[in-house]
Amino acid sequence: MMSTTASHGRVMMLPSPSRALQNQQPLIGSDMFRLKQTEPRGSRLVVAATAKYKGTKMREEKLSEMIVEKVKEATEVCEADVRSEGCKVAWDEVEEVSQARADLRIKLKLLNQDPLESFCQENPETDECRIYED
Amino acid sequence: MAVSTIYSTQALNSTHFLTSSPSSSSSSKQVFFYRRQTNRRFNTIITCAAQQTVVIGLAADSGCGKSTFMRRLTSVFGGAAEPPKGGNPDSNTLISDMTTVICLDDYHSLDRTGRKEKGVTALDPRANDFDLMYEQVKALKSGIAVEKPIYNHVTGLLDAPELIQPPKILVIEGLHPMFDERVRDLLDFSIYLDISNEVKFAWKIQRDMAERGHSLESIKASIEARKPDFDAFIDPQKQYADAVIEVLPTQLIPDDNEGKVLRVRLIMKEGVKYFSPVYLFDEGSTISWIPCGRKLTCSYPGIKFNYQPDSYFDNEVSVVEMDGQFDRLDELIYVESHLSNLSTKFYGEVTQQMLKHADFPGSNNGTGLFQTIVGLKIRDLYEQLIANKATAPSEAAKA
Repeated sequence: MMSTTASHGRVMMLPSPSRALQNQQPLIGSDMFRLKQTEPRGSRLVVAATAKYKGTKMREEKLSEMIVEKVKEATEVCEADVRSEGCKVAWDEVEEVSQARADLRIKLKLLNQDPLESFCQENPETDECRIYED
Repeated sequence: MAVSTIYSTQALNSTHFLTSSPSSSSSSKQVFFYRRQTNRRFNTIITCAAQQTVVIGLAADSGCGKSTFMRRLTSVFGGAAEPPKGGNPDSNTLISDMTTVICLDDYHSLDRTGRKEKGVTALDPRANDFDLMYEQVKALKSGIAVEKPIYNHVTGLLDAPELIQPPKILVIEGLHPMFDERVRDLLDFSIYLDISNEVKFAWKIQRDMAERGHSLESIKASIEARKPDFDAFIDPQKQYADAVIEVLPTQLIPDDNEGKVLRVRLIMKEGVKYFSPVYLFDEGSTISWIPCGRKLTCSYPGIKFNYQPDSYFDNEVSVVEMDGQFDRLDELIYVESHLSNLSTKFYGEVTQQMLKHADFPGSNNGTGLFQTIVGLKIRDLYEQLIANKATAPSEAAKA
């Protein structure tokens, strides 16, 4: 039994969770091991972890650019005085933007969620919500 | 809309009339007790929130993208946590059936430009509005919805606020959940994620090396520049945490610096209400356990467990430690079957939860294991708290 989830405009076929897991019955070690082994090969379509909407793609690119800019800035500021306030603030900005970039990547890759999904359901006509074509 | 119901009770000595007042606040009901006495009228107002919010604090230095810990936590309660629908797409908030996760960066008093001008990092308490944080967490805990600001990590600006309804479980995550004493007192349970410097470095390399702006030097410089503020403002919070998850490099592989195999310690405070620490074999004793042997075959570098009572910042604690990796499901279920006080509802629940998120980082080592266990502990705490509030008499305030 397969369940389908639409993701990024491409249909992803997933084997549905076993009945045992669904009913939350106690599982014995060897059962679960067998479960994993019997997952039919080729039943998972690997979906590329890219942005679905133009707005998300733009955010990805903006964040990447900001990382380049801010690393450059921090390197310059710290060359003057590595212990200055300006230096630690500059690297803190680099950290903030790096984390934001990574969070976006995690959302898209691991969770298969485009952050603009719900916004774009309501506002499909905006420029941000144009489907991003590779 | 005014709805009043009057009940009379014969159970007590004098006659009491109960009325429910029209609820002005979203989810709290007020119950008035009137005792009819010949001499004077005596009103007792008892406020029972229709729903009591349990507040959990989670401290760590990795922004609000502790997605994996949060997802594991909310998944224990069922349902997936998602950003609020139809709101600001750059919102940091996550909402599921039972839980709402708030990112404390939303309480920045200074945006990115402001911090640059003042020369403070986001780690500095001067960049955060603790008064607002306290007010709003207190309000949500009492069942009152709040308009919470949004800090936009992309633009670095403070966006228009979003409405947050009081949930059953409120998780506040960020850099300073335990910094302010008033906020600390509101927490029913607190966790600190303590990543050692070597592991932090390895993780940030994994995180950033793909970005064209970064190099090993820039990653190293960023960690070092932030260290003084981190040590001064963030690190001291761990003494207040009910549970600390400490992530260290493995001791099983000499000179391992890839940060792939980890040694993870779950440090649990003793004497915390509704929280019974996990233990191995015999509570309060010291155990060293290598599950790999005749019954279980492990691949290199294997798995090693330790359990012992200890002292942590003048607190009595119990520590369960796992070094190594799970390679196969049966290793995981074998380990689970030997741990006690897990607060699972059925045998194999920890393993099942780990399997659910098998593709998350940490799923094959102590980080995933202990995060999952902490999630189950929180569920247990929540259920006990709710059960207790239902049976105990509510606080009475004389009118």
